[in-house]
Amino acid sequence: MSESSNELVVKPAPHISAPMTKTRLMQYTFFAILAVTIVSAATWSQVTTPSGWNLGLTVAIGALIAVGIAVGIDVLIGKFASDSELNVWSAMVFGLIVINCYTLGIPAMNSGQTGIPAEAPLAFFYIALIAAVGETVFKKVASTAGRKFVNPAAAAKFLVLLPAISTTFIISDHLKTGMLQVPALAGPLSPTEILGGNGGASFGTYLQGCYANPAMMASLPDIPSLMLLTKYHGWVGGASSIAVIIAGIALFVLARKYIKWKITVSYLISIAALSLIFSVIYGDADLTTRLLFEVFMGSSIFLAFFMATDPATTPLGGIGQIIFGVGLAVLTILIQTYMNFFGGALLALLIMNLTVPLLDRVNIRKPFGR
Amino acid sequence: MANLVEIKEKKDIARKTPIEVFPDPKVAVILVNQQSGASNKALVSVGDAVSIGQKIADSTERVSAPVHSPISGKVTKIEKVYNSCFSDYTEAIFIEGDGKKTKAKEIIPITEAQLKDTPNETLIKIIREAGIVGMGGAGFPTSIKLSVPKDKPIKTLIVNGAEGEPYDTADERLMIEKTENLVRGVRVIRKLLGNPKLIVVTKESKVEAIPKLQAAFGKEPDTQVVAKHLTYQQGDAAMLQKAILGYEANPDKRSYEMGTIVQNVATINAIANAVFEGEPLISRVTTLNGDDIKQPKNLLVKIGTPVSDILNANGIKSAGQVVVGGVMMGNALQSLDAPLTKRTSSIIIFSKSKAKVKKSTACIRCARCISACPARLQPSLLYEAINKGNFEKAEKLWAKDCIACGSCSYVCPAGLPLTSTIRSIKG
Repeated sequence: MSESSNELVVKPAPHISAPMTKTRLMQYTFFAILAVTIVSAATWSQVTTPSGWNLGLTVAIGALIAVGIAVGIDVLIGKFASDSELNVWSAMVFGLIVINCYTLGIPAMNSGQTGIPAEAPLAFFYIALIAAVGETVFKKVASTAGRKFVNPAAAAKFLVLLPAISTTFIISDHLKTGMLQVPALAGPLSPTEILGGNGGASFGTYLQGCYANPAMMASLPDIPSLMLLTKYHGWVGGASSIAVIIAGIALFVLARKYIKWKITVSYLISIAALSLIFSVIYGDADLTTRLLFEVFMGSSIFLAFFMATDPATTPLGGIGQIIFGVGLAVLTILIQTYMNFFGGALLALLIMNLTVPLLDRVNIRKPFGR
Repeated sequence: MANLVEIKEKKDIARKTPIEVFPDPKVAVILVNQQSGASNKALVSVGDAVSIGQKIADSTERVSAPVHSPISGKVTKIEKVYNSCFSDYTEAIFIEGDGKKTKAKEIIPITEAQLKDTPNETLIKIIREAGIVGMGGAGFPTSIKLSVPKDKPIKTLIVNGAEGEPYDTADERLMIEKTENLVRGVRVIRKLLGNPKLIVVTKESKVEAIPKLQAAFGKEPDTQVVAKHLTYQQGDAAMLQKAILGYEANPDKRSYEMGTIVQNVATINAIANAVFEGEPLISRVTTLNGDDIKQPKNLLVKIGTPVSDILNANGIKSAGQVVVGGVMMGNALQSLDAPLTKRTSSIIIFSKSKAKVKKSTACIRCARCISACPARLQPSLLYEAINKGNFEKAEKLWAKDCIACGSCSYVCPAGLPLTSTIRSIKG
């Protein structure tokens, strides 16, 4: 026995640990987002875009490109910078988020979108660029500065598409003054009629023209089923809101206590409440149209479950997380309503990410007995 | 309740295994210092003959506790050995046994009938001279703990039978097998504290102990036996007071200022042995358990028995890691020559495959440590501040309120040494 004494493992207490590790947490997250990606690809495989590419195949290839580039860069940097921490699963999760927050699918009502390429093959180039910039700049370089300050996928998408911001994010077609005379959110909305000169079509018609399967314009689904079940344009990860919700909740349950669900919950409650308030303020024809759009559009629902909860770029404290979620909702609504920037949750997230050092100071819990 | 992490108990077989008497060591290695408080000096020299229960080291300071020889024999050497109480090599008295059972009768016991007429000073003196310290791990001299200022009336005595540490079952077996002795010990403590209300607390998982406690303590006046679900963290005295009495004691205040004394089972057993049998603290029950231990044991071992003796006698040929005093808060031995101390509630063996040093990675800010801290601190922020050398900030974040329970490190998915880092600056 004595000769083996010097081989004893000596380390400070505690000497046992919970089963959850960083890798396992990343694996759970990866498979949850992968499930969403598969549902999106399967749904969209029914569609062929004007360039002749199958949209489902575009998603699958795009996912491989994003994940491949992220992992490749992670491994490459790991080889040359020995102090860099190899984190393949984290890179894989990042790659999947890149494809899921990318906007694909040409809406039926669109007459030729400019700016962001919403179909293959050009989309592949942008996806690759976003993955490369995100992994290099916003994950690896940011980590050397201590920690990541902004969500890497959101920041990379924003940066890559910034030169085309006026034509991509704020698409002229989305404005009531634009070609399609889309109703503005800063005005009365209705599922069926044009209210108060807001746009050239009703908001419901716009949503159908935007989200319905372009091949099936003859029998348009109703707005709730579009927003909740299947959309054929927008964020890849938002193709099916219900899939996002199921995968998201499954992840919360699986990685219980390790995921900042308070952000998701406070964001969703706030955005729903704000939608209702705006509906009343602008005199909408009903209370559901705006609500369904704001809550279940791809950028809102996917971001709420899989981007806003990114541990590195969100507050530590429970109260901080709730403020973060509420702030994210307020900014999202304001950006979408007054900047006509549909998908504004992405910009809102980046702004909220920057407030995290401040929100980390908010701590209302007193130590035990104090 | 928030901020309490559930940890698997891993006590299934051990809790059903009766206490077994471990033979006396051939050479006993008695650490001169096993208590928190003032340091002891050896009272014997090499060559001296000593008998069982003879005081061999003591201090003249008030906050101290002497140590005694567990066997009769001769002092062969005095040199440093690994002391798990302090994670350091400290002085120890080596006694080679002579196989005789010569007993030193230094402590004069009383009978149970004499208890009510025995002055408190006499009882405190017995407890002090018996070298009794908190055997749950803290090692604070019990004679001091039970000498409560007269102007601070004690309303409640809590018997802490939670034994929260995974694997450990020594207290549980004492509650099952030595229930009547515990009742005697509690009577001593109640007399010392002016007959406060008694609450005996144990966990609902200790199914064999609960009826024994109810039967034995049911006859005592103003007494309650509480068996409820308690997490590991609630075995801590402050957390237990919150769980049972509902209040949160200010960490700056001494326990008696809240009118409550919490006493652990093993310590109560030692008090009964000292007061009624005249036996100083020379043996204790310790659990031998681990991830690869087929037959865990609860052993009544002489304090000063080298851990290697216990492993050899139980056929444990190789060990990757040996932890004494609990896997959450205890000490990983640097040497198996280290002897059993008054605070060694358990010896937990991890096999070579299990005992790997977890590689830690950067904090991912999941905030799990924050929701896991029963003291409601922010471990990740403390960790960051301390690593940056910003002790002022660490102080503002209440580093000193850390109870060292280990929950933050336990849950950390990045494997960061949060607890030990935070403890490193605690004065």
